[in-house]
Amino acid sequence: MNALEIKNLTKRYPGFTLDNLNLILPSGCIMGLVGENGAGKSTTIKLILNMIRKDGGSITILGQDSQEGAILTKEDVGVVLDEVGLPECLTVRQVGKIMANTFKQWDSAEYERLAGRFSLPWDKAFKDFSRGMKMKLGIAVAMSHGARLLILDEATSGLDPVVRDEVVDMFSEFTRDEGHSILISSHIVSDLEKLCDYIAFLHKGKLMLCEEKDRLLDEYGMVHAPAERLNELSEDAVLYKKESRYGAEALVLRSQVPKDMPISPVSIEELFILMVKEA
Amino acid sequence: MKGLLLKDWYMMKSYCRSYLLIVTAFLAVSFMDDSNLFFAFYPCILCSMIPITLHSYDERSHWLQYSASLPCSRAQIVSAKYLIGLATSLVMFIVTGIAQVVRMRVSDAMEPGELIALMAVLLLLALLMPAITFPVIFKWGVEKGRIVYYVVIGVICAGGVIIAQLVDTDVEVSLPAGIAVPAICAAVVGLYAFSWYLSIVFFKNREL
Repeated sequence: MNALEIKNLTKRYPGFTLDNLNLILPSGCIMGLVGENGAGKSTTIKLILNMIRKDGGSITILGQDSQEGAILTKEDVGVVLDEVGLPECLTVRQVGKIMANTFKQWDSAEYERLAGRFSLPWDKAFKDFSRGMKMKLGIAVAMSHGARLLILDEATSGLDPVVRDEVVDMFSEFTRDEGHSILISSHIVSDLEKLCDYIAFLHKGKLMLCEEKDRLLDEYGMVHAPAERLNELSEDAVLYKKESRYGAEALVLRSQVPKDMPISPVSIEELFILMVKEA
Repeated sequence: MKGLLLKDWYMMKSYCRSYLLIVTAFLAVSFMDDSNLFFAFYPCILCSMIPITLHSYDERSHWLQYSASLPCSRAQIVSAKYLIGLATSLVMFIVTGIAQVVRMRVSDAMEPGELIALMAVLLLLALLMPAITFPVIFKWGVEKGRIVYYVVIGVICAGGVIIAQLVDTDVEVSLPAGIAVPAICAAVVGLYAFSWYLSIVFFKNREL
């Protein structure tokens, strides 16, 4: 079963359209949503969570239509939003009690364990937390009610590199269970590169590509060579080319490049930036 | 639903503590000056604003968006606020009622008719404002709700002045208490229920 299926999802705003988005997140996998500001990442997540109305298409979460089985499905979905969304006056203890009365499968012991792991002070008000601590509390809540799907909107932003690394490891651990999946959007593409099985590039409301991360890294590469040498490559091989007085570089399809031409690996971040520039 | 109510309870404990002091002070003054009913009525008006205040904090903390990810319906989110409104109003209604009974007993001026009329006005004050303001808040947000709130206050004050002038000019405006009191109570409770329904409809269609 797929954790998430999005078919022809469309949402129109004045000046912006999320246009016929199609995504499939298989169970047990992590998909990263990458895109510049205003690309449609948060709109996609809001549509998945029914915060806004779609103009077309369908969303299926854990086998159920996102609108018909909304309440039942949300028992199985853990969410961390960019603005965590907990009331400022609440303490970690109070949040735990509220969630225990909200989720049927709330696991207080797991919540306490995660709060301890994140060094969250039990009786300090949310308003006195740093952004990183707020995110950590959001993550602790999302992972304490037996969720099978985590939806994370910029959940690693605001965390220092050490904690970010720890959180990324926790997400990896979460998906060791084949029934667990994650959809994560982030500006920090290096986190997604470390974490994700699938990468989806959004640009101006359109899906540029959605592919297995390893396949992307196998498929694309960078060539650094004199401009004349790059000009020998076929048009199909070159996705993006930049020339300067020190030489030239090109994003290429590895399969279309002659074997004698050295190709260096491309990072997901580079790939995304170059594709957006070319688009 | 229980979680939503518990959250509002914690928020009330944190944000509305000062209300307790104000309510006590106003009720104490109403004891000493029984010619001015403002001091007796104001605590009820104040407490009727509690759910609106809580909603305002919810908006500021992005709780409304977050609550969309929780296993509760939009109708439950709306209902939690209406239930909090009913609970706070009920508490104030009882406290003010007891205070008025004590005041009448102490001053040896116990008049059941006056007490019942007073309680009807209290019910009106406690439920009217949230009943009018909440649908606006659930459709357009707290900022616009505040504008409506002040407009309603203005209309009530203007209405009060007009009624006072009519009374001065000896125009007969009163209904028999036996009809007026139940009519006011039924109307305001009906309005509250309709407002509840309207807010659910508005909030279900709102984009968060």
